[in-house]
Amino acid sequence: MNLYLIQVLNGLGIGMIYFLIAVGLSVIFGIMNFVNFAHGAFYLLGAYLCYAIAAATDSFWLALAVGPLAIGALAWAAETRFLCRLYRVEHMYQILVTLGLALVIQELVVLIWGPIGTHVSAPALFRGVLSYGDFAYPKYRLFVIGFSAVLALTLWLLLERTRYGAILRAGTESTEMVSLLGIDIFRLFSLTFALGAYLAGLAGVLAAPIRGAEPFMGPEALTIAFVVVVIGGMGSFAGALAGGLLVGVVQSVMSSLWSEGANVMIYVAMALVILLRPRGLFGRT
Amino acid sequence: MKLSRRKFVKDAAAGAMLVGGAPAMLGRALAAEKVKLCSLYPLSGAFAGVGKPGDVGAHLAMQALAKDYGLDIDYVSIDSEGNPGRGVAKVLAEIQQSGTKFFAGAILSSVALAVGAEVHKSGGVFFTAVGADEVTGANCNRSMFRWSVPTYGAIQETVVPLIAMFPDAKRWYTITPKYVFGDSLLRNAVDVFKEKGIEHVGNSYHSLTETEFSGYLTNAAAAKPDVLLLLNFGSQSTNTLRQAADFGMKNKIKIVMVWAAGLEQYQEIGTDVLDGVYVGCQYDVTIDSPGNKKIVELFKRDANRIPSYASVGGYICADLIMRGMKAAGSAEPAAVIKALEGMKYEGPTGNEEIQAFDHQCVKNYYLLKGKPAAQKKSSDDYVEIVSFGKSFLTQAQSLCKMA
Repeated sequence: MNLYLIQVLNGLGIGMIYFLIAVGLSVIFGIMNFVNFAHGAFYLLGAYLCYAIAAATDSFWLALAVGPLAIGALAWAAETRFLCRLYRVEHMYQILVTLGLALVIQELVVLIWGPIGTHVSAPALFRGVLSYGDFAYPKYRLFVIGFSAVLALTLWLLLERTRYGAILRAGTESTEMVSLLGIDIFRLFSLTFALGAYLAGLAGVLAAPIRGAEPFMGPEALTIAFVVVVIGGMGSFAGALAGGLLVGVVQSVMSSLWSEGANVMIYVAMALVILLRPRGLFGRT
Repeated sequence: MKLSRRKFVKDAAAGAMLVGGAPAMLGRALAAEKVKLCSLYPLSGAFAGVGKPGDVGAHLAMQALAKDYGLDIDYVSIDSEGNPGRGVAKVLAEIQQSGTKFFAGAILSSVALAVGAEVHKSGGVFFTAVGADEVTGANCNRSMFRWSVPTYGAIQETVVPLIAMFPDAKRWYTITPKYVFGDSLLRNAVDVFKEKGIEHVGNSYHSLTETEFSGYLTNAAAAKPDVLLLLNFGSQSTNTLRQAADFGMKNKIKIVMVWAAGLEQYQEIGTDVLDGVYVGCQYDVTIDSPGNKKIVELFKRDANRIPSYASVGGYICADLIMRGMKAAGSAEPAAVIKALEGMKYEGPTGNEEIQAFDHQCVKNYYLLKGKPAAQKKSSDDYVEIVSFGKSFLTQAQSLCKMA
């Protein structure tokens, strides 16, 4: 098969993970106008909970089910206890506090699991590769693509076909109006924050068998998430999907065209999007 | 001249006093000033996983050996944070505030080169175990010494034996970090390819922040190599290897990781991924040498751990500085430097020697192979030694011109 076609397929696989990392951040920022620098730490925690649960129970599936829920619960607790006090302050203070939270989580990970990374095996069902002629693609990555696609559809249905989704979408337009309509906006914020963290944790669980779990993977995820959100447009589900896939494909195709610049081209793509469409591909004015 | 019995007895007694009392006299001479030995390792941040073992090793050397050498050492740890700017600032503070002259450590070449330059300006001694050729090459200086084998030796002792072991494996693909160290490994590898008639079917450079290697591995697979040669290091080589295993490449081609970090990295990679992979490393716990047996016993007894490359690197750098002080009979850096140059000693890899012209330790580099789970004798028994040897540039070939 043509090398570039394979690289595009590769990019779609990576892009789905980037989408999962970024969609939570996009929703949090879009709804709550809240800059969450702890988002990468939730991803990190997801990877480590995957490692811990899989090591203890020998079940990746249990880790997939329980890990993100635990992170969502932790995020809910953090939001209701102290992050909610930051909604009316400037973004700079939100950045400082959430960055502090991220560092606390990172150092707790080091304290509990040590500074050396760990290995997480893919579930037995998806070990090995699927071969087609000379082309071989890991079964686990195909699972991640499929799972993420189903999750993306589920999220879309949640946003488009449920009352909660309608409130969320209205909230991205105007939280004051939603509040005036008698909806508990703070409960909405808590749910949204927990959902965003859940999605980041889920991305961490899915990423762990691909890149292992190591204590400093949080900042890397956060950077990618911000790039995807900027490209896709803040608060946009479709934007997070398009942005994630675009970043993944650019990174993968560029590794064949200009390998040492593959990473930097992600940021060049972001710069181009900002120049041509400052609000992002699907962002609103 | 006839030697009188009285003179003979007098001279013999004087000699006996000198020999018997030398360590005590040396100890008193050096203990008059408690000598500070400062270790510099990343104790926090992304490299703490190998920095902390290095610090443990250096501390262990000081505790176990200083008295035997007749030394009174005051040990200090500095956290370089894996950052040259911060590391140098802390070293400068240590030099200026405490007058410390002896430094050991560094995990990153960038930190070592920066610190080495500052220690040289202050007239101190710095012993390191980093990899960049420049340390005992173009950027060498009289204060800096290096225990680890640089890139030339790493390639010679991994690629050359593998070419001999697998004569039919003619097509090699490289994955290289775009960085001075990566370019150095690649340059040395390409030289060997040319010499041995190997077809270099392609190379993928990547940035130092890269974590996703599927694109580069797809490039490699498309080139249909017989061998995939990984010239990156640390978490990047771990991720490349892990992802290469995911893509089923281990079953089709040989994979070689030239610069492994040792036990900590094997633990991170895991047995199932490491099985059948060839790695190059500066040290292995199974090395059959008197020096290594002593080190392994000491680590097990006093630190309750198996020594790794990171911890042995810390140990030997501190040990060699102390040996230099003992040989010099002084804590004066100039005297210690002179004593270290040309020193031969029993090290972790057997007989080792410090070259005078570039301050590089001549020691073995090891080619190892990952073991399958069924062959592991313990949970930390990840690899077996395939071959080893010493390969270093001659003085004529070296870029080191020390003033």
